[in-house]
Amino acid sequence: MLIGAYRDEELTAQERRTLEAHLATCPACRERLADEDRVGRAIREQARYASSVGLEGRVIGALEREKAEMPLEASALSGASAGQVRSALRPSWAGLAATAVLAAALSSAGTWWAVSSSGHVKALEREIASAHIRSLLQESPIQVASSDQHTVRPWFAGRADVAPMVRDLDVSGFALLGGRLDFVDDRRVGVVVYTRRKHVINVFAWASPGALDSAPSRSMRNGYNLLGWTRGGVAYWAISDLNADELGELAGLL
Amino acid sequence: MIPRASFEQVALPHMAAAFNLARHILGQRADAEDAVQDAYVRAYRAYHQLESQDIKPWLLTIVRNVCYRRLQQRRRANNVISLDEAINPGVAAGEFELHSGLRSPEEAAIGASEQTLVSAAIADLPPAFREVIVLREIEELSYREIADIIGAPVGTVMSRLARARSQLKERLTRLLDRDESDAM
Repeated sequence: MLIGAYRDEELTAQERRTLEAHLATCPACRERLADEDRVGRAIREQARYASSVGLEGRVIGALEREKAEMPLEASALSGASAGQVRSALRPSWAGLAATAVLAAALSSAGTWWAVSSSGHVKALEREIASAHIRSLLQESPIQVASSDQHTVRPWFAGRADVAPMVRDLDVSGFALLGGRLDFVDDRRVGVVVYTRRKHVINVFAWASPGALDSAPSRSMRNGYNLLGWTRGGVAYWAISDLNADELGELAGLL
Repeated sequence: MIPRASFEQVALPHMAAAFNLARHILGQRADAEDAVQDAYVRAYRAYHQLESQDIKPWLLTIVRNVCYRRLQQRRRANNVISLDEAINPGVAAGEFELHSGLRSPEEAAIGASEQTLVSAAIADLPPAFREVIVLREIEELSYREIADIIGAPVGTVMSRLARARSQLKERLTRLLDRDESDAM
């Protein structure tokens, strides 16, 4: 331990002198010191992971978004003058601020989304896409694993307001992976996960009482195909990087 | 008020250190990059709390905390219940392969090439040893700074470092000897 601290220059002058005197007379400790030096050098030279080129841009982007979301709070909290906050931001400040003001106005309007149902659908699509992508970023998109629909459906009972339709579609080329819960449109929803040729498909379902049945309508977000439909008072959304036709095939089978 | 440098000016130069620490703790590139991004946003929000102290240890503290939170989440997420397996042991094995197959081929290729013998030896250490080795040997922080980052006394830093080093020495001296004789 002392040899390590000596290498790290963490000993007091007194301790260092004592240790150096000892090293002068002890070949075993000198060897240990040389070994530790060698290991230390190997770590410094060979164990440093380099980040990928894109990371800095990604982080800067995330910081810009953060600023766009809360420029006012940021300046109030930090006690910095408006000038400082502005100088800390990039030239896109004016545009970002405008977006932020707009966003603030929208959220303060509260129920504004109700004014435009298509706005609500767009927001929903965004949420679905985010939930799908998040599920892919995690180690596993599912909480209950099963290729048997009789074990997945009961698992949802009491966990989500609707136990989504779970079907064994092996013969049609859709493998049932399992299910999980997610949070979309301000509620807990059940998600059934299928795969086809390694493409993961998330099927979201929640109760939508009183809603009229509607045929699947296609859309696209973040490069993923989405399909939304309503049947029997249940709203369904399917999303995947699978092509839209095959996704439509799944919707037809459910 | 003293004019202060922008967060970007002071924080971005430490991104390599932040990523290196996250990568060693989390063991995965994509996860480590997400953790760095998350940590930078949190650091930005808290930047006004940073007084005169050096930003690097402060930033690395946040990176470390974010990483450990992610490890916890990962453990929870791995708590996937397999009803198939509970009912019929062995049946679900194929599905688990599918889960790990969600890692992209690129990621797998990067993973294979970027890990050296030395980083593999570090990855074998318990996490508490790994972080002190990285902070000391690669980032060259002082014992005091490391103690602040991991929230432990300086004495603990010293003893963990000593134990980590002796484990690494044991694993690496043989390998290094072989490398050196190969080189001759």
